Amino acid sequence: MIIIGEKLSVIAKRVRLAMEARDKGPIQEIAERQFREGAAIIDANIGPAEDGGEDLMQWMVTTIQEKVHAPVCLDTTNVAALEAGLKVHNNQWGKALLNSTSNDPERFPVLELAAKYNCDVIGLTVGKGGLPADAEERAGIAAEIMARAMEYGVPLESIYLDPLVLQIATTQDQAVKVIETIRMFQDLNDPPMKTVVGLSNISNGCPKALRPILNKYYFLMLAEAGLTAAIADAAEMAEAMHEKALIDEVMAGKTLDDPKKMAEIVKTIDVIMNKTLYAHSYLEM
Amino acid sequence: MAMSGVEIFKLLPKTNCKKCGFPTCLAFAMKLAQRQADISACPDVSEAAKATLGEASAPPIRGIKLGLGDKAAKMGEENVMFRHEKKFVNPCVIALNVADTDDVAARAKDVASSEIDRVGQKLRVDAISIEFKSGAAAQYEAAVKAAADNAPESAIILNCADAAVADAAAKAIAARKPMLYGADASNVDAMATVAKAHGLILGLKADGIEALIALVARAKAAGVEDIVLDPGAKNAREIVELNTQIRRSALKKGEKALGYPVLGNCVREDSMVEANIAAVAVAKYASIVLVSAVERWKNLALFTLRQNIYTDPQVPMQVPQKVYKIGEPSAEAPLMITTNFSLTYFIVAGEVENSKVPSRLAVMDCEGLSVLTAWAAGKFTANKIAQFVSEWEEFKEVANKELIIPGQVAILSGALEDKLPGWKITVGPREANGLPVFLKSRAA
Amino acid sequence: MAYTIPVENMSGKVQEMTLGTAGRAVAVGGGTTLPFHTFEGVKSHRPVIAIEIQDVPPADWPDEVRAQYDAVSGDAVTWAKHCQDTLKADAIALRLTGTHPDRENRSVEDAVATIKAVLDAIEVPLIILGSNHVEKDSKVLVAAAEAASGRNCVIGKAQEANYKTIVAAALAHNHKLIAMSELDINLAKQLNILITQMGFDTARVLTDPMCSALGYGLEYTYSVMERIRLAALAQNDATMQPPIIGDVGMYVWKIKEVSAAEADVPAWGALAERGVAWESVTATALSMAGANMLIMRHPKAVDAVRKTLDELC
Repeated sequence: MIIIGEKLSVIAKRVRLAMEARDKGPIQEIAERQFREGAAIIDANIGPAEDGGEDLMQWMVTTIQEKVHAPVCLDTTNVAALEAGLKVHNNQWGKALLNSTSNDPERFPVLELAAKYNCDVIGLTVGKGGLPADAEERAGIAAEIMARAMEYGVPLESIYLDPLVLQIATTQDQAVKVIETIRMFQDLNDPPMKTVVGLSNISNGCPKALRPILNKYYFLMLAEAGLTAAIADAAEMAEAMHEKALIDEVMAGKTLDDPKKMAEIVKTIDVIMNKTLYAHSYLEM
Repeated sequence: MAMSGVEIFKLLPKTNCKKCGFPTCLAFAMKLAQRQADISACPDVSEAAKATLGEASAPPIRGIKLGLGDKAAKMGEENVMFRHEKKFVNPCVIALNVADTDDVAARAKDVASSEIDRVGQKLRVDAISIEFKSGAAAQYEAAVKAAADNAPESAIILNCADAAVADAAAKAIAARKPMLYGADASNVDAMATVAKAHGLILGLKADGIEALIALVARAKAAGVEDIVLDPGAKNAREIVELNTQIRRSALKKGEKALGYPVLGNCVREDSMVEANIAAVAVAKYASIVLVSAVERWKNLALFTLRQNIYTDPQVPMQVPQKVYKIGEPSAEAPLMITTNFSLTYFIVAGEVENSKVPSRLAVMDCEGLSVLTAWAAGKFTANKIAQFVSEWEEFKEVANKELIIPGQVAILSGALEDKLPGWKITVGPREANGLPVFLKSRAA
Repeated sequence: MAYTIPVENMSGKVQEMTLGTAGRAVAVGGGTTLPFHTFEGVKSHRPVIAIEIQDVPPADWPDEVRAQYDAVSGDAVTWAKHCQDTLKADAIALRLTGTHPDRENRSVEDAVATIKAVLDAIEVPLIILGSNHVEKDSKVLVAAAEAASGRNCVIGKAQEANYKTIVAAALAHNHKLIAMSELDINLAKQLNILITQMGFDTARVLTDPMCSALGYGLEYTYSVMERIRLAALAQNDATMQPPIIGDVGMYVWKIKEVSAAEADVPAWGALAERGVAWESVTATALSMAGANMLIMRHPKAVDAVRKTLDELC
């Protein structure tokens, strides 16, 4: 399992301010911490970054790699910024990962970059026609992205298919469909296609205390389904791996010694599997 | 039952020859799984594979085209019981039923002139059904011709239980490929013969589902493939129950005899009641909604309901890009901007109306995404907004060059000021319900 | 071969409740099936239509519906009597629009006086609605609950921002409660959970997922209602088993389609019928989705929906 550390994001105020001020300190501190916590790749999310995106991405990549000897996941819709980042990316610890291409024509140039710079690329299985409804639709889009990749000269092994994790608080029925999709994606090629998710999306909009719980159990269920990589909180994922044995026991029908933990697992799985309607207080029911 | 894309892929040649029009066999397999392609497009697939795929790819509810040309309507191909599971595929057909003793020409003109535009879609009464009431074959034929002539682009339904009369009428307007409706237990074999001879859709009417299944068997035995079912609902409750049972049987029990579009007869004396019964049928699985009057007010309501029920829950409804006027705004009135997700537009416009401050609301095409989502997806950005404001004609009539942006994207104000010289950027409230206070306090 | 009806027996149910008192009490909800599916379970009570009146004359209502009540709407009592006796309303919804700070800003005392006067004048059940100003409502509805004590009314609406005091008052005075959220099934569930955590039985709640007019988001309300009903029946989710209410008139009678003159938009046809069709079709559609109670304004729309319900029930 490859963890891509998610914390360096323009949405986080401290990170945004450090980016604006070109203050290396906070960026490197967060990158190093994630690396220690087990992140194999560090995501650099600079947002749409219409102005000065190239300069900013280059600064982020060099700043991160100055201290952390790992590849960077370049995360922005600004294609020129992606290319600028690739130009300064140090590949000795692994290829850069582009986040992301999709079936939207505006995102095709990202695939071209992947071919030109021989790096890896995330393929988000969404197009212009609205959000995909189920696993079959996502697989259909994946097949198109794969065909396009072949056309542009990007090896299928360089692609990480992302089924688009949506928030459980507003689109609950998609949670289990994404797990199905991860299984389906692997069958699309031999050797199996690689997969990735933006894990924390599942708990977006949930009360703070619930987020790690949903993130961890969802992650474990996706891992069980064969997930290759996750953009996530590295510390949370390390904790999840410790709890894997517990969730396996519950899934096998056993009762845990700790009833509170058991209830937490059972109720969370019920909500992920769409057996019980989600509400912010679902654990109290 | 349906095969998955991966299962279908295993049956294909895997040469990626592209003759099917798709770049890879895998992509083609995925389209086949979604019923968005036909196996006949592949020249190299084995006969055995074709047979397996043909069987698996037949939709549980047959797809049938009613009418001809651009205004033809597709029926059937439905996959779910509830619109929130997945989009209902083919919006129902609205058909006007007139007797051959009525002023058919005038009624046909009503149908022909029924088309309106709503939220960028063209909506209309799709078909005219001529009912054989006179008892006189010549009169029926004349009525049918009058309908065909006065509604040249509409679909025609021959509502006639006399096979010989139906045959003559069908011949008279053969080029229009009418649907033949009125086959029941007493005449199904004769009617099926007519339908088969002319290649027409056959509408079967029975009292209840069991009787309907028997009729389907007779029609199929006569070689008729395109069938529409009328289970004989006597009231709105039966419309709900029978249509639900038919769809469940087709989708969940694999009942092929019920895998066809359904006709709901909503004809009532009271036109307002008829509108409501038709609403029941629109919501509950009817593919053809039959009414006896198509007043403009009724059409508008039913078209809108149809639009709402058949909206794709995955694709947000969008309003056209435009600078909308709310109230009678002067050249100096406030100018706000937001995205074209229809719910966003309706809520924001509603709050602006509540404020009673005449304003302009500029709606930018962001593919139906709401404000924050559009921003994150790079569709509602400073560059794109600036381009919209500089290039879109309607902004020229705005004297007061102040643009009020949604509070959720306050972060854009600096960049927008740089890209729109001469414009003042003001950050509005984060939520639409803050607009009345915001607008009124400015006006004060 | 005989046809077997594909019956789907669900493990759950819709809560049943009674509104009002004595001879004119009305039953709402109940049943174990999707709307009108009598073939597979116990049927629900016929959806109840409450006709809306206000505590102030409806000067801001479009002509088409306002004019229907000009002779009686100068006074809430005459208006209420007209609805009960002439229009044969099964229930009346009194909306305290005048208490809104941006409107007449009537006081809590004014509202209480109106409520008492109306309750003295009618026997059918009364739904008491605030003006949808979150702060003012929490004061007004608390006083309303007390003023209506003993009459088994419906107090509405409790929202996430103001539910605590309103729930406490409804509990203390033995009323039913409308819980409203904004087109979000998960928030609807959450609000019902919060309400039950205060000791208020779900058997006394009506869920209002927020109505939308035909053409103005109807499909959102429609699908949330269907999903609520499915959670109640198929998942046996007790928090989703309260009956559903659709506040139709308020949302319909503020859109263009019910007030634009035919001369201005000939393609839209006659205005009088258009408004009636708009309100009745909105209400009928929501009945299909699971609404057990509807609040409506135009007498002709009420009439059309009644006739439709006659066929459905």
